[in-house]
Amino acid sequence: MTAPAASPPSRATAPLVVSVQDLQVHFKVKTGVAHAVDGVSFEVRDGETLGLVGETGCGKTVTARSFLRLVKTPPGVYAGGRIDFWSREARRNGDQPVDLLRVPDREMLAIRGDRIAMIFQDPGKALNPAMSIGDQVAEVFYQHRSEELLGERPGRVPFLVRRASRQLASAPERLALRLPPWRRRARAMRRRVDDLVAAALAETQIANPRKIMDRFPHELSGGMKQRVMIAQALACNPDLLIADEPTTALDVTVQARILELIANLQHRHGTSVLYISHDLSLVRQMCDRVAVMYAGRIVETGDTGTVFSDPLHPYTRGLMAAVPSASQKRGELLAIEGNVPEMVNPTPCCRFHTRCRFAVDLCRQVDPELLAVRDQGVACLAYASAAELGVPESSLPLVEGTSR
Amino acid sequence: MAREVLRNPTTVAGLVIIVALLTMAILAPVVTEPNIPDPYQMPRDWSMRDAPPGTPGHPLGTTSTGGDVFYGVVWGARTSLQLSVIVVGITVTVGIIVGSLAGFIGGKLDEILMRVVDVFLAIPELIFALAIAAVLGPSFSNIIFALSVVFWVKYARIIRGQIIHIKQNDYVDAARVTGDSRFSIYRKDVLPNSITPVMVQATMDMGGIVLTAATLSFIGLAEAGLAEWGVLVSDGQSGISAGKWWASTFPGLMVFLWALAFNLVGDGLRDVLDPRTEKR
Amino acid sequence: MQIREYILRRLMIFPLIIIGTSIIVFTLSRVGGNPIAIYLEHEMTPAEVAEIEERYGLNDPLPVQYLAWAGGVLTGDMGWSGVSAQPVTEALLDRVGATLELAVFAAVVAVTLGIGLGTFGGARRDRLPDHLTRVFSISGASMPIFWFAILLLILFWVNLGWVSIGRSDPTVFASIAHPTGLYTVDAILAGSLTAFLDALAYMALPAITLGFGATAIIARMMRSSLVEELNEDYVDAARAKGLPEKLVLRRHARRNALIPTVTVIGLGFGFLLQGTVVVEIIFRWPGLGRWMADAVLRGDQATIMAYVLFTSVLFLAVNLIVDVMYAYLDRRVVLGA
Repeated sequence: MTAPAASPPSRATAPLVVSVQDLQVHFKVKTGVAHAVDGVSFEVRDGETLGLVGETGCGKTVTARSFLRLVKTPPGVYAGGRIDFWSREARRNGDQPVDLLRVPDREMLAIRGDRIAMIFQDPGKALNPAMSIGDQVAEVFYQHRSEELLGERPGRVPFLVRRASRQLASAPERLALRLPPWRRRARAMRRRVDDLVAAALAETQIANPRKIMDRFPHELSGGMKQRVMIAQALACNPDLLIADEPTTALDVTVQARILELIANLQHRHGTSVLYISHDLSLVRQMCDRVAVMYAGRIVETGDTGTVFSDPLHPYTRGLMAAVPSASQKRGELLAIEGNVPEMVNPTPCCRFHTRCRFAVDLCRQVDPELLAVRDQGVACLAYASAAELGVPESSLPLVEGTSR
Repeated sequence: MAREVLRNPTTVAGLVIIVALLTMAILAPVVTEPNIPDPYQMPRDWSMRDAPPGTPGHPLGTTSTGGDVFYGVVWGARTSLQLSVIVVGITVTVGIIVGSLAGFIGGKLDEILMRVVDVFLAIPELIFALAIAAVLGPSFSNIIFALSVVFWVKYARIIRGQIIHIKQNDYVDAARVTGDSRFSIYRKDVLPNSITPVMVQATMDMGGIVLTAATLSFIGLAEAGLAEWGVLVSDGQSGISAGKWWASTFPGLMVFLWALAFNLVGDGLRDVLDPRTEKR
Repeated sequence: MQIREYILRRLMIFPLIIIGTSIIVFTLSRVGGNPIAIYLEHEMTPAEVAEIEERYGLNDPLPVQYLAWAGGVLTGDMGWSGVSAQPVTEALLDRVGATLELAVFAAVVAVTLGIGLGTFGGARRDRLPDHLTRVFSISGASMPIFWFAILLLILFWVNLGWVSIGRSDPTVFASIAHPTGLYTVDAILAGSLTAFLDALAYMALPAITLGFGATAIIARMMRSSLVEELNEDYVDAARAKGLPEKLVLRRHARRNALIPTVTVIGLGFGFLLQGTVVVEIIFRWPGLGRWMADAVLRGDQATIMAYVLFTSVLFLAVNLIVDVMYAYLDRRVVLGA
């Protein structure tokens, strides 16, 4: 359905971390089937930051959640496509990638939080209100680093402690762990966990991490909570970090510091980042490449610099015109008319035609594919070849300021 | 709204049972031959004591005093219908009046009324009703009175809460600015918005009242020989050790079905009407 | 801290509500019937009746009578219980153990079963187990306890002969001492397994009957709050950390869903308390409920007053504890507001 976009020259040599191919996620709704994500393809390379931009409801969050299979099914359905993922070892050993949509549940659990981590939009809601910060961060270590927690000679650790190190101990077992034969081992394990948690929190420049560990989420500020989320996400040094609007719920003054923190940590650990946002100025600042989403499709992709300086798709142009910038004169800010269309039982057409100034009849009948234009990829009929589509040249739309 | 309610199979089941029970209550004089002079008294046939179900003329058997269980089951529905309609009518009216006074006038009056409500809620429902009925003496009308005294409190609370909630909303201010009188604000904005939770509560109470009344008459607070389900279960209780299970089982089943049906419908109504339990 | 303030405020209102309750109880005894009816006999002359009335201060103004009664209650003198032919206080103390043992046992059954069922249904929302849980909960709230008890008796006592009614086997009862009046505790103190099992066997059926309604209430609340919690972001965040579904449910969703469920435990306890009256009649359990039922039928006002007051205070106390627990558990509400 979608032709592979021309890979941009920069970083093109870096190995792939994730390759999304024709991803389709549908939702059963009262009126039919909503195609929330409808044939999305993109890739993220090692150490790169890809921005996924679009309006609310364009499918960017669903795309991101599909990586960890966090879309609720039902009503959601993974209707097609694949998400290939190469972990660090796979890249080193030249192994085949795993398809995140199809790996067995057990493997998925091992990937979540360890190889791929996620930061959520609202840190106030994404932390468990009834659990101390320390306990919440510790869970990641128990889940993915249990062997480390057992100390030097893990072979000689009692069965009960071994179970506790993987959070399998039931209430009576936990009680038993406080009693003499196991107490010493259990305490040592607890100390090692605490050290790891404190170190993870310190990474995010939280002052006094040991003190914060005993606190509950409601006792912390929004920025603090997001730092905790970041610490938790980066605790196991993942290959890919998915950041779903990580600063939307925060005060503007805090935003900048959180962004800087993510960028710093990313550079230090060489993590690839999938950055999801509706905020174009943030994306411009943070990302190497962008993919612009509209109504479940990617309409344009390319290097951040090029896409921002010379957008091709009418939708991207509209978005850019809606962003205030210092060089702009007052009153030049433009809004795109209308809303994102419902994607229930869609017919073949350009999803943007209802709001596009340049739309012609053909746009209502033909589904544009993502085409390589210059270094970018764009899904607009204005850039298509009439011969390939089998229509006269004159029936193609004409977008201002482009030469075919 | 009606369509949404009917989409839930358990609600439909409840409605079907209610219709069946009401039909039985209304057609009681047709289905059975009314006892003379008082049809709400069980007819006694002393020659047919402890007859098992299936006996000709007594499809559900008879009690140890020769009462026809089928007659009791049918006329018990009529008794229950009267009881629940009267008590719900009284309690909803009293509750709305008290709740409105407290919520709308507010201040000292509100404070006093709400403390009274707190005290009423401090005594478990059944025990309160039991105590009232006990000091008034055993009779079915005293049970009705006792239940009325106990059950109004919830409505007062619902109405008052709703009024206070609505008072804080902007549109009541808007109405005031446009010059609407207090009463018309009350009639147009407050009552319609409060009616939903009252309806849900009233539906559930239609069942709860019959359940509580049957419990009181089972304990022995209704007149002996009354065609009422709780009385019948109590009459049949002595026979169970001798294997005479029917005289208790059938009337008790009726109480259960009655309460179950109204609870099912009330529950379904709440799911549809209460925006807080929205389905995501 | 706000939580202390909250508890303090609740503690201050507590005696006020008890005073209110006592006024209602007192009023009840004066509006209907005759507070001394139980002492009167047919052959008494009017003069003798007047003498009794005088002795109990029935000619004094009502507030004076109330104060006299309330003063008596506070000093442990609640009058003479006609139905048990002993002072009310003494009769109450004799029977409270039986009722509390039954109620606590039923409460334990109800809380464990209710939370378990609610979790089972809520975690499988809109699938068969969820619908079954819903039907079970609504049935529980609609079940006439007296009928349920009789059905169980017909099955387990009359037909299967597995249980007996009463509170214990007379020979087993005689074999050990009863210092606490709680037979299970007494059995443990005496170190007698036979007595312990005997106490449990006799208690099983009444406790299940009694706990059924409360189980339904708790299961329903647990189910709906679990469904709500499972929609929260932190649940997905826990999944994103790589926690297996079982841990997500147990450590995250269920723990938070328990907080609102605690509030209905108070309500459920009220359900248990009022249920004891009927259950004790049917299972011939020698507790407060059966004492009350006897008193009701014979118009023994001193007993009725004492019972209603005692039950209300107990009910209020449980609710107070529940509220404090809730305030403590839900840090968001108390400390955040």
